[in-house]
Amino acid sequence: MDEKLEEIEKQYNEVPIPKELDFVVENALEQGKKKRKNRAPLWLLGSAAAAMLFTASLNVSPAMAQTLSEIPVVGSIVKVLTWTEYEVKEDTYDADIKVPSIENLENKDLANTLNEKYRSEGKALYDDFISEVDYVKENGGGHVGIDSGYEIKTDTDQILSIGRYTANTVGSSSTVMQYDTIDKQNEILITLPMLFKDDSYIKTISENIIEQMREQAASDPDKTYWVKGGGHPDEEVIDEFTTIKANQQFYISDKGKLVISFDKYEVAQGYMGIVEFEIPTDVLKNDLVSSKYIH
Amino acid sequence: MKTRNAFQHEETFVQFIREQKERFYLLAYNYTKNEQDALDVVQDSIQKAMLSLDRLENVEYMKSWFYKIVVRTSIDFLRKHKRLHVTDDDTLQYLTPAQEDVYEDVDLEHALDELPQMYREVVILHYFEDLKLADVANILNIKLSTAKTRLYKALKLLKIQLQDVKGETTHG
Repeated sequence: MDEKLEEIEKQYNEVPIPKELDFVVENALEQGKKKRKNRAPLWLLGSAAAAMLFTASLNVSPAMAQTLSEIPVVGSIVKVLTWTEYEVKEDTYDADIKVPSIENLENKDLANTLNEKYRSEGKALYDDFISEVDYVKENGGGHVGIDSGYEIKTDTDQILSIGRYTANTVGSSSTVMQYDTIDKQNEILITLPMLFKDDSYIKTISENIIEQMREQAASDPDKTYWVKGGGHPDEEVIDEFTTIKANQQFYISDKGKLVISFDKYEVAQGYMGIVEFEIPTDVLKNDLVSSKYIH
Repeated sequence: MKTRNAFQHEETFVQFIREQKERFYLLAYNYTKNEQDALDVVQDSIQKAMLSLDRLENVEYMKSWFYKIVVRTSIDFLRKHKRLHVTDDDTLQYLTPAQEDVYEDVDLEHALDELPQMYREVVILHYFEDLKLADVANILNIKLSTAKTRLYKALKLLKIQLQDVKGETTHG
């Protein structure tokens, strides 16, 4: 090559490479992988659609839930076991992921749908953790931790509410909680919309929660929520909570009360953690389909 | 079968990116002339590439395929931020009618920077990134003959002895 050209090439190559390049590249690869995963291959879409159809048919029809409730069932002993556990313990890397499994449901479709979900999500958490650790190791080490498991919120003759939590501790920690509530007698998955006659429950519950937030903030200076009058010093900057989602996380307590749950950062600052609101049944009674589950 | 190919592509791609990331950064930097912007271009390019990885038929095309993405992302970026230093072909032709030697005798230190983008990119891709001229043409979406002409002119502007490089421009 010509000397001049060589000199120009040298200059081209001399542009300093910023330290962040490694991070940016790895991050982009990671994000890219996730996006690819989300675009599920065709064969998977089929089974996902089938599963959705199944839950959807339960969701849309309170009538269906009621019909089911009239079929007598031989009392099955539904229980929750730890199906598998992923454990990693190294100096600054630790993972503890417990994957639950619901056993003894006669309704195999329901059992499979839930257990498949638990297993694939548990596996995904573990895989993410491993790739995170690999990345951190390559870049000089650091702390990576994940703690995921489940707790039985309610286990009565009628109701099983299982909550699965995932606490991620990279940089700042985040915690997510997901609930599934099953009618053990009729072996159906209870969703929030199906408990109510129509969509008006969203408004009823949201208003009650906002009221509770204000009361708590007024009586306890340590509590703040992202609502007007929620004790936040600068109300202009908050991303105000206005409404729950139609399928907001919830469970049914052993007293038959509806409890609405919000993840860390969803309605309040991080120090508040996961927050729960028990909705008084009185408030809900006009919207409820029946007092079977919630009373 | 198709998914398996896609997965193999993914591994190859990740490895390729990790090994060559500094090359992509340099290329992006040459367009954007700014560290943060170049990092953004690299990031966007990787994500775009991963989303269309399944459409890459043959792993052998990966290099020129990805360079094309980086070049396009860089140009899109400049366009969006209205910092395109260089005018499009028509305007350039208009401004420099048939006078090939209109540029000053550029001092070597800024030689590459002072070369208009349309010439600069051909030089970079062909000489510094070792891509065949046919691939360069494909990456830049121009005809092979146009790529040759631009390279020829670039060298002339850089006052590089044509004899020395003749062999190299034709082997590709």
